[in-house]
Amino acid sequence: MRYLRALLVRMAGIFTGHRADEDLREELQAHLDMATAENVRRGMPPEEARRQALLTAGGLTQAAEAVHDQRGLPWIEHIAADVRYALRTLRHSPAFTAIVVVTLALGIGANTAIFSVVRGVLLKPLPNREGDRLLYLRQSSDGPGQANISFSVPEVHDLRAGVPSLGGIAEYSPWNLTLQGDDGADRLDVGLVTGNYFEVMGLAPVLGRLTRPSDDGAGVPPVMILTHAFWMKRFGGDSSIVGKQVKLDGQSVTVIGVLQPAPFFPDRIDALLNMVVSPHHVSAMMVQNRSHRMTEVVARLASGASVAQARAEVAAVYDRMRRDYKDAYNPGSHYRIAVIPFKEALGERARLTLWLLMGAAAFVMIISAANVANLSLMRGVRREHELVVRAALGAGVARLRRLLLVENLLLTLLGAVLGVVIAIFGVRLLISLAARYSPRAGEIRLDGTVLGFTLALSVGLALLLSFIAALPQEDTFASWIAAGVRRMSGSLRKQRLQRGLVVAQVAVSVVLLAGAGLLTRTMVRLSEVDSGLRAEEVLALDVPLLQLSGGPSGGSDPMAWFRHLLEMDAVAKQQYERMRSEIRALPGVNEAGLGSSMPLATAMLSFEVKAEARPAPVGEAVPHAAIRTASPEYFRASGIPLLRGRAFTTTDQAGSGLVVIVNKTFVDQFFPGEDPIGKRIAWTGPLLKLSPISGDWRTIVGVTGDTRDGGLDAAPRATVFMPFTQMISIGGALVIRADSNAPGLVAAVTRVVHRVAPLAPIVSVLTLAQIKDQSVAPRRLNAALVSSFGILAVIIAAVGIAGVLAFSVSARTNEIGIRMSLGADRGRVQRMILKEGGTLLAIGLVLGVAGAWVAGGIIRGLLFGVAPHDPVTFIGVAALMAAIGVVACWIPALRAARIDPAISMRAV
Amino acid sequence: MADKLDVKQGTLALMILRTLEVLGPLHGYGIARRIEETAKNRLTLNYGTLYPALLKLEQEGFISAEWRQSENNRRAKFYALTAAGRRQLARETREWHQIADLIGAFLAPKRETP
Repeated sequence: MRYLRALLVRMAGIFTGHRADEDLREELQAHLDMATAENVRRGMPPEEARRQALLTAGGLTQAAEAVHDQRGLPWIEHIAADVRYALRTLRHSPAFTAIVVVTLALGIGANTAIFSVVRGVLLKPLPNREGDRLLYLRQSSDGPGQANISFSVPEVHDLRAGVPSLGGIAEYSPWNLTLQGDDGADRLDVGLVTGNYFEVMGLAPVLGRLTRPSDDGAGVPPVMILTHAFWMKRFGGDSSIVGKQVKLDGQSVTVIGVLQPAPFFPDRIDALLNMVVSPHHVSAMMVQNRSHRMTEVVARLASGASVAQARAEVAAVYDRMRRDYKDAYNPGSHYRIAVIPFKEALGERARLTLWLLMGAAAFVMIISAANVANLSLMRGVRREHELVVRAALGAGVARLRRLLLVENLLLTLLGAVLGVVIAIFGVRLLISLAARYSPRAGEIRLDGTVLGFTLALSVGLALLLSFIAALPQEDTFASWIAAGVRRMSGSLRKQRLQRGLVVAQVAVSVVLLAGAGLLTRTMVRLSEVDSGLRAEEVLALDVPLLQLSGGPSGGSDPMAWFRHLLEMDAVAKQQYERMRSEIRALPGVNEAGLGSSMPLATAMLSFEVKAEARPAPVGEAVPHAAIRTASPEYFRASGIPLLRGRAFTTTDQAGSGLVVIVNKTFVDQFFPGEDPIGKRIAWTGPLLKLSPISGDWRTIVGVTGDTRDGGLDAAPRATVFMPFTQMISIGGALVIRADSNAPGLVAAVTRVVHRVAPLAPIVSVLTLAQIKDQSVAPRRLNAALVSSFGILAVIIAAVGIAGVLAFSVSARTNEIGIRMSLGADRGRVQRMILKEGGTLLAIGLVLGVAGAWVAGGIIRGLLFGVAPHDPVTFIGVAALMAAIGVVACWIPALRAARIDPAISMRAV
Repeated sequence: MADKLDVKQGTLALMILRTLEVLGPLHGYGIARRIEETAKNRLTLNYGTLYPALLKLEQEGFISAEWRQSENNRRAKFYALTAAGRRQLARETREWHQIADLIGAFLAPKRETP
């Protein structure tokens, strides 16, 4: 309390200084008078009495200053004075201030924005209770599309029984449902979860309740929990929704709660339901068949258990499973299981890209810092005279250092403020990028931690800048002052530091440019990839009509569910055909086709497949093929070329002979070097008997070209097309080829769909060009970001080179004057300066190329169609940097050559 | 002549408080004279030490100050002990005695152990 009171009084003292000073002078005067009077009384003459009084009491001025310091808070006053002084100095050199602040703002802005993304997506603790104890289990096997095959219910049971270090194991099955509202239908991405799911995930409701184990199994009412984002988006955050019934795939489902905001993996979802909503999920075939894998698994570490322990136990259980159930784990396919911390799994797609961007931003920061350091070193030399004078007037080195620090702090903080403004806009752009890679993009914020990072960055930078400016020792200062030195510059050490910084700038710029070059070439290569079809003026709609969850529930009779599905399928097929023919009749439509999925989109299903009289090779991965269906017009509408045989015809009907069309990759895999037309293939494997697809032999009637269905950067997969009419409509897509302006058809086409099937959700309407672009867009943004960092770096580095050389020229003006008066011509002087800059440039280039070599290896995973050490990119980047560097050297070199020896020598 | 001692800030505060307790309200010169006399001129006390110390005590609320006429009829700033100052003096005196005892015990001539 005492201290607080004293502090307050002293703070007030800063402002009442003037009056108090008067007061003190009077008090001291009184003291002096009394002492003098006393001395006189003792018999001293008045003059001597006063002198003695002053002598014993000490100087009046020192006393006044000591009291002044006690009255206010001297350090605050000193800092205020320093700030005022620094502001004045910066105002007097506006060009310097502007360059430094803008440079810093770009560096700090880029770092703040990207750090906020890295933190939100990779670093921030999960909102889940004890989120670091959550694990994600992934089962994979060899072959395309088998990187995450998820788990079957019996597998989950085995894990539950055999892994004590996992305290809870929950099932989560991604599913689609159609929500019927008053204003049309929505296709929802949902998760069907076991009752322990929320307990395991450590999530709480913001409204209502969550599911519990009593919601498991068949024969319970279906209930739904909305995710926070979907609740806000679809119901506007209306809390009265809890307790209401909604229609999902024709069933009544009660909304029982709203979940706290939380990220989901592998994909964002709209709602979570108990399993019973899908008869399939509670059926015997789902629950009992070990090969029927459609469940994601999350688990929570038991208290005291470690991840390593869990891994070991899971591996042991898995070994036993593979031994005991050989038919479910084909040895050639190398079935394996991975236990990954949930947070890592959430970040795995984003990690490399984000660290790349963070690295690039850090490099920009290094270059800006180096530039600012160089600028202030140079300015420091120009200010040496001033510093010497200040030292002569009694400012100690510490005081000078503090002055520098205050100045640098002002600069970096100004830069930080501007940088945060840049970051605010940058983050908006980056969130859209991050959303492509991470379910946690919604958590990206410029929050206190991020701003703290920015502040720490700026203060750290200011400290660094203040301490690289070498101030002389206290004693050398004195000798300079004595010698009447006006400048103390020209120290070799300082120039070496400046040159080192330039070399670093060039090197770092080269690394950034090389990265930008590689990513840009990747993007160009990707957009050059032949998608396998003629994409111009083609519109595609995803309209799933078949609702897989409705119908008879209960797991007792799977065939009843199939029969129900087939009845619904017959209705759906009629609706599809009506949509197709009505759309075909629209003006401007050239062709319209039907298929199970849009061209260039991943097929929903894939099955094991065999060719007649060709036993599958033992010890290799079981061959799979993607299943697609197509109407006779599908290929022509999509622009997929038919390489051999024929397309489907209207005579390929439900009752007629089973025919298929396969793609080129399929032929290369099963019938290399042969004519496949007339050969027969069949679906096979343990899952076949669970599906409505028959294992009958099907005759190949045609071969299409490959299309890039898994994205332009993924190799084409073996694909089998079945006639749309010979297969249950597992999905439904309309493909429409227009005469011109395909996007202009959207309104008319949508009207047709809604007229024919008012309750059908239209999941997406895209032109094929847009679908193709979706696979290029993230790379384009990557390339654009890194390129802009690269360009920024080069500009800053060029300013750095030019600045340092210009400084060197001005410091050597006398020397150059002498050289010229001794006969050196302009060309020679120019070459001398160019050589000086060229040496720095060359060293920087060599180091930069070496750095780029390393960096290329690190970002290998982000490249496509270009080698990580692509010589064309490297040579191009080095040449570009060299050209810019030479231009930057040329300007000061020209200036050096224009020096007039007569004038320069007089200036000594 | 013997070396004069410098006064430490905390010690000086105690001396000032004690002086004011003994002599009642007093101006800066009076306080200085009294302290020097008590110390038998073994201390130097200049303005630069005394007045900041007085200001500090005032800021802490241990003494109060007011302008008054002095005994020989001139204006001077008189300092007086406040209630808080009295308590502080008692506390510091107690502490000082304890420390003095302690140091005294440490520095006492070594006794032969039997």
